[in-house]
Amino acid sequence: MKRPKSLAMLVMSLAAASLALAGCSGTSSGSGSGSTADAGTSVAGAPSWCGPKKISLGLLDGFGGNSWRLVTTAAGADEAKLCPSVTSYEYADGQGDTQKAISDIQGMVAKGVNALVVFPDAGQAMLPALRSAYKAGVVTVPYRVDPGGKDGVDYDAWIGADFVTDGKNWGNWLKTNLPDGGNILFISGPKGNSQAVDELTGMKSVITDPKYVFIGETPEVTNWDPALTQQVLTADIAKYPKIDAIVSDFGPSLVGALPAFAKSGRSVPAIVTSDGNSLGCFYTDNSAANPDFKLMTVATGNDNVRLAVDYAVAKATGGVLPTDTVFKAPAFEDSVSGKPSTVQCKKDLPGDIYLSAKMSPEDQAALLKK
Amino acid sequence: MIDATVREPAKLLSSRPVVSKGFVTVGVSTVLLFVVCALVAPTSVSGGAVLGMIPFAAVLAIVGLGQMLVVQQGGIDLSIPGAVSLAIVIVSHEPDGDNSRLLPAVVLALAYAIGAGLLNGFMVGRLGLNSIIATLGTNALLFGAVLGISGGTPRSTTSLLAGIAGGLTWGIPNSAFFALAALALVTVMVKRTVAGRRFEAVGANPLTARATGLRVTIHQSLAFVWAQLLYCLAGILLAGITNQPTAFQGDAYLLPAVAVVVLGGTSLLGGRGYPVATVIAALFLSQLDQFVLSLGVPYAVRTLVQAAALAVGVALYTVDWAAFRQRFIRRSPRIGTPA
Repeated sequence: MKRPKSLAMLVMSLAAASLALAGCSGTSSGSGSGSTADAGTSVAGAPSWCGPKKISLGLLDGFGGNSWRLVTTAAGADEAKLCPSVTSYEYADGQGDTQKAISDIQGMVAKGVNALVVFPDAGQAMLPALRSAYKAGVVTVPYRVDPGGKDGVDYDAWIGADFVTDGKNWGNWLKTNLPDGGNILFISGPKGNSQAVDELTGMKSVITDPKYVFIGETPEVTNWDPALTQQVLTADIAKYPKIDAIVSDFGPSLVGALPAFAKSGRSVPAIVTSDGNSLGCFYTDNSAANPDFKLMTVATGNDNVRLAVDYAVAKATGGVLPTDTVFKAPAFEDSVSGKPSTVQCKKDLPGDIYLSAKMSPEDQAALLKK
Repeated sequence: MIDATVREPAKLLSSRPVVSKGFVTVGVSTVLLFVVCALVAPTSVSGGAVLGMIPFAAVLAIVGLGQMLVVQQGGIDLSIPGAVSLAIVIVSHEPDGDNSRLLPAVVLALAYAIGAGLLNGFMVGRLGLNSIIATLGTNALLFGAVLGISGGTPRSTTSLLAGIAGGLTWGIPNSAFFALAALALVTVMVKRTVAGRRFEAVGANPLTARATGLRVTIHQSLAFVWAQLLYCLAGILLAGITNQPTAFQGDAYLLPAVAVVVLGGTSLLGGRGYPVATVIAALFLSQLDQFVLSLGVPYAVRTLVQAAALAVGVALYTVDWAAFRQRFIRRSPRIGTPA
């Protein structure tokens, strides 16, 4: 009985959308995309996840306003281009406004997009919109942030990032490089963010020996704001005469704060974090003057979106589904072992690019120039 | 005539103290705070901690001086977040890491600041709009410019600016010198020039000022322009201090900027300004941050302590202690005498 009502709403929003966005005619309503071939066939010359069925794809961001998102969005578009079956591609930015992010989803569904890849920044608040898109027969793939809900019930699959793995990678490195134990300062973003909780779980599962001590409020609250990070770190440097390692889940925000060690006449300690060109260059410039400065990074995870796009496209076009539905950020730089990579720095390129991403540094730099 | 003779002794009395009440209050509080810091959390007054605190205090002081000028005219400037963020974005995005393009970028930032100031001044001074509404609108416009230039993405500052704003001279953060220069400039301009004296007179009572032939509109409008120039300076410094600022770095300065003005003793109704006290109040608030951080208490307690300290600070200033004392003294002899 609900069918006519939702159909009427769909028609109305379609009309509204076509009024608002002139020039997007010709998209047939994308019903039936939910029923996909089980076996999975791929288009010749394209990746295995690219099936033969022609589709239109939408990529939705909850908040597109930083360089990380810029690179991530471009990576998503890049990945979609690999599959010729994706005949049209659209992007919408929620601009940090949950209401807009929801209506973006509804708008795309109304326009007849076959597959949606969504960064649900608002978390649970996005679930009803995701569910209604999924129920309308659109392949719906939220990624990175957990919207709650279940795979196959509220959406096709959630392609999350495995922050526990990040924590384990960090913990293992600390165990290898600080064999005698030490004081570890863990710095994260807003109070109670789930990312930090997962990372800490991962770290603590590896670091069990009491000779490793987490100092300060674990994690220290910085809201990922470089100014606040600087203030917090300055206070901690003054307070703790011995800091052996700093663990941070957003490396580039440390760059402004690390000179505080020099001001106190101390060496920068070991830094265990996620990568960024500015941090790599900071290491290159300062490692000689700071004997204790070692750097280990995991990939910042721009390529999380690629896995989400692969999954969504495979499901909608009838390609082969990726086996993984969790993005595990690989370890990236290690100044001690040089594996998988030594510390990288591209001096001639902006500091806000991520050398761990698949997209070339030059392409990222060009993105930022726009 | 009778009024004048009656008023005269009171006038003499009130002009007796050389230093302002705000100065004494905030000065004593700051000294007390440092003493408490040294006793309770000695690390918060160690060399490294103080060197880390001063740059942020300097930025807050400069923003506070700008806000003070507007408050002196009975207005309030809510365009600080946009103004500071815009200055940051211009001096980090325009040069894009190239030191030689820093100077033009600074000039461009100043031009934007003057534009924003004139707009605020025109709306409030000339059109007589409420300053809260007008400056909020300007703030939105400024953030439009921020997004237009940056797309919301941050960019690293040039090494030259990082060196100037974040560096040390004779062991003192350079930003402190900028703040002292701004303080000297504002103090001399307001307290020692004819225009400055008129500026205060207009703020104290625009109607009287108009009656005496002062150009009220010009003074009120220009307050916003001077303020914007100070915000711009603060933004440029902050860009250098943080190295990799976000595009919304100015957001954190709206409330503290008003707080330092109030703590410094400048009345929100307008009139006399207290630049020195405002700068000391900025030092007070920044050290308070540092103190609570050094205590190592959880984040929730941290914000509570800061709020409580601010409330106590404002209460110390707002409560009329002289009247309180007077009432107390006057009461005691009354006891024996029947009414």
